[in-house]
Amino acid sequence: MELDYSSVFDSWRFLLGGLGLTLALSVLTMLCSLVLGGAIGLARCYGPQWLRLPLVFYIDSMRSVPVLVVLVWTYFALPLITGVTLSPFWAALVALTAQLAAYVAEIVRAGVTSIRVGQTRAAFALGMSRTQTIRTIILPQALVRMMPAFGSILSITIKDTAIAAVIAVPEYMNRSQTVAGQGFHPIEVFTVAMAVYFIILFPVTRAVDMVYVRLAHLGRS
Amino acid sequence: MNFDWSVIWRNADALVEGTELTILLAVVTMAIAIPGGIALALMRLSGVRVLAVTSASFVELFRNLPLILVIYTAYYILPVTTGLSFSPISTAIVALSLNVSAYNGETFRAGIASIRRGQTEAAYALGMTRWQTTRDIVLPQAIRRVLPVLASTWVSLFKDTSLVSVISVGELAYTSMRIRAQTYRVLEMLTAMAAIYWLLGYPQAKLVDWINRKYAVSE
Repeated sequence: MELDYSSVFDSWRFLLGGLGLTLALSVLTMLCSLVLGGAIGLARCYGPQWLRLPLVFYIDSMRSVPVLVVLVWTYFALPLITGVTLSPFWAALVALTAQLAAYVAEIVRAGVTSIRVGQTRAAFALGMSRTQTIRTIILPQALVRMMPAFGSILSITIKDTAIAAVIAVPEYMNRSQTVAGQGFHPIEVFTVAMAVYFIILFPVTRAVDMVYVRLAHLGRS
Repeated sequence: MNFDWSVIWRNADALVEGTELTILLAVVTMAIAIPGGIALALMRLSGVRVLAVTSASFVELFRNLPLILVIYTAYYILPVTTGLSFSPISTAIVALSLNVSAYNGETFRAGIASIRRGQTEAAYALGMTRWQTTRDIVLPQAIRRVLPVLASTWVSLFKDTSLVSVISVGELAYTSMRIRAQTYRVLEMLTAMAAIYWLLGYPQAKLVDWINRKYAVSE
């Protein structure tokens, strides 16, 4: 089989721009998910009782619906209800954040509940307030235990941004499709795309494993 | 804004068919990916360098690629490299199986590695062969440890089948979006799609939580 990579080389600027958008969307989604998911996770653990049930419902619902469905619904259906049309990029950011925040919230909850009750009791016995206990005793230990899971979320986020191609966000996956459609060498274009995603994702997963090994002893209690 | 929800009932048959195909895709993929994952794990732990490196490369490759890209690539590469014409459904099963096998391989490897070395040594001391030890001692215990992880992978797979809609496999997502395009009932059809996935996925997510609690390993 003759391979011809010229269509990839001819469009390298176009593809590079897509890669930039992939990375920008990944970083923004990750940051928003951490903030929103952290808030939801903490509210579920420490918030008022009436708030917990809707939050659990939200988290479990997002865990049970495909990210493609959330993306398509946010982009095509949401404007019909709210009357506000989002550009593909912002719709993708909203949809990906809505879903990944649920996963982050679960990680936060698992981390917080993994700290033994004895520590909270000991802090109370020393006269610390609830806020003090959470801030200075529980969270510092729980955060260390959450780190590896946050790393996995980063790699999931980067992979999920490729699905945003479906709502025409001009990121790397979408631009690869465009280039593949214009030339007659889809195999070469998608092979390069596999290499590009692998080169980004492999160091991330490796770094996560390394962070895990380095931090594991700090999380012990 | 006028919404006409009756479009869902008028297309109920197509939606049911799409849902059936979604379930079928997930079942067939898992049926391939469990033996596939066990094979990858055994290769990795075989002690034969060539097999171990092949297995590790396969697992790392497919764990580090977006599934939607694997689906597209399979769609274009399979017919050219094999010379056979693949239907969209078989292409979808190939792509999903590659992805899920890689995850299962890692799951089984961790499960097998978690069975202490002493058990294998004890089995050898009793005169069991390597194969007997793997089959009768290590795998039965490893499967109990990997069950919660396999359950989570199943839920992910069930959701990920929606991605094969991009190569026109007529499962639930594709069917809903096709009806949306034909009837212009965007909100109604997309909401119906989300609701069906939710109805199927929510009990599964809850079941996974239950399995995780039941089989939790505490040492």
